[in-house]
Amino acid sequence: MLGIVIGVVAIASMGILGNSLVLSVSDSLHTVGDSVIVSPYAGGGSGFGQGGGGVRSTSLKITDQQFQQIQRAVAPNIAIPVLQTSDIMKLGVGSDTIVAPIYGLNPDDVSKILNLKAGSYSRSDSGCLVGSKFADDHNVKVGSRISIGTDGDKGTLRVTGIIEERGISFDISTDSAIVVTQNWFDNTYNRSDYDTVVVKVNQGVDSAVVKTTIEKQMNKRDKVVSVMDSKATLATIFSAFGAITTFVSAIGGISMIVAGVSIFNIMMMSVTERIKEIGIMRSIGTQKREILSMFMYEAAILGIVGSIIGAVLSILAGYAVSALLLNTTKYLFVWSSAIPVIEGACFGIVISLACGIYPAWRAANLNPIDALRHE
Amino acid sequence: MDDQPVMEFRNVVKVYPLPSGDVTALDGVSFRVARGEFISIMGPSGSGKSTLLNLMGCLDTPTSGDIFISGTRTGDMSDIELTNLRRDRIGFIFQYFNLFPLLNIIENVTFPMMLKSQKEVDPEKGREVLRSVQLEDNLFTHTPTEVSGGQQQRVSIARALINNPDILLCDEPTGNLDSKTGDGIMELMTDLNRKGTTIIMVTHDSHIAEYSRRTIRIADGRIVT
Repeated sequence: MLGIVIGVVAIASMGILGNSLVLSVSDSLHTVGDSVIVSPYAGGGSGFGQGGGGVRSTSLKITDQQFQQIQRAVAPNIAIPVLQTSDIMKLGVGSDTIVAPIYGLNPDDVSKILNLKAGSYSRSDSGCLVGSKFADDHNVKVGSRISIGTDGDKGTLRVTGIIEERGISFDISTDSAIVVTQNWFDNTYNRSDYDTVVVKVNQGVDSAVVKTTIEKQMNKRDKVVSVMDSKATLATIFSAFGAITTFVSAIGGISMIVAGVSIFNIMMMSVTERIKEIGIMRSIGTQKREILSMFMYEAAILGIVGSIIGAVLSILAGYAVSALLLNTTKYLFVWSSAIPVIEGACFGIVISLACGIYPAWRAANLNPIDALRHE
Repeated sequence: MDDQPVMEFRNVVKVYPLPSGDVTALDGVSFRVARGEFISIMGPSGSGKSTLLNLMGCLDTPTSGDIFISGTRTGDMSDIELTNLRRDRIGFIFQYFNLFPLLNIIENVTFPMMLKSQKEVDPEKGREVLRSVQLEDNLFTHTPTEVSGGQQQRVSIARALINNPDILLCDEPTGNLDSKTGDGIMELMTDLNRKGTTIIMVTHDSHIAEYSRRTIRIADGRIVT
């Protein structure tokens, strides 16, 4: 039975851990629905093509002309140009200087891509939004002032809103950043070309189609832009997690098969030790099928009890491992974490029954005369 | 006694095929056992007594010939039917008692009843039968290892009687008991026979055979008397 317990614990706890990892990554990865991210292509290519297809930018930025091409190609889906840099900041008199990312967005686009947990969106060039981690780490509130640049030479901005936590995002990662108006960004850093374009795919539209449309439009001659479909990327990540979980669970399954072999041996020993008893039972009128059932019940009990103990232990093991590795146990108490426990327990019972079949058959088909003579 | 024999062998042959050559254990055995008889079967070692007992108990099938139990021909029966026949019509009493060590005495005795009814049985019937074989009430909840050999054999007899069989088949019933205890068992069996139970007993002990009313002697697979 110990083998079954260990096998169930191995399968179920690996499944729980894998599921918890997937859920944890899901929570961390924020896609804001379906997004397609367009970035300047950084490698290869030849020549400076003009017209028709994409216009290659040599400065690894997306030009305004390219943005308009993208915007036309993806309509009616919304294309949002994003400017990005990082700079030194100071958060008040006497505070330390920090370096943080700065995103520049058109005020009309901010509400389409970011949600606030405090304050309001700013349309003024003197206002900015801050990420939730930025606000927590530096004790920044709505109304706080941030000086940008060495000695604040690039100006001071007033915090008008705090952005909701977004985790790791494919489009823009604002948790530790500030978001300013595109106009302020242009004027301050003397830049008008964009770092990325985020295309918000409308509901019901296939993001893969949008990706293909952009690539066809922009990369006709040379590869000018790289296009990433966040939905497909997420699917690839989850598929990888799934494969890893399956692999480690399969290793647990091997231990279960070993347990099954041990149950087979135990059952065969049990039959051998009880040959005389089987002979007596057959002689006084016990049917073969009743002998078979008796031994199958024994195998079933071994499997059921072992699986129940294994299931309980696997939940405890899953709890401990989740707490240690993920610093949270909230993913343990969801239905998707119960599935590997149920699967492990069922597999344990099936293995027990499967490995009990031959010994039970052997017991049922013993010659009663030989069995009665057995010492 | 009614006319139909409770057991009949007609020209029964049993051959065991062995790699070294076939062995004929029984060679054309014919006899009848009337209802209510008490018969002992005697013969030297290797005469075919055990083979005869196994065939009488439907634990084995003849190579040729017919066996009838209460008028039913056993030759065409399936294993399930033969098992049911053993359960309902034949009671076995073994030399070494062959009780289940993990069951108590009541459970041992009522085991065949449970096989027949396929559900929990009323232990009262078991107690009645145990009292009829003169076993004390205070022993009913003991396990077989907690009682004497003679008491175990009484339990074995009770188990054999529980389903009101047509025949009691006994294989050296006193072989594992001292003479005084053995006589006690034989007196019990004589009493059962007097009440109408048909008993067929295999023994090599002529003193024990004297308790029976007829002796069948077998040698080299054939009945000699």
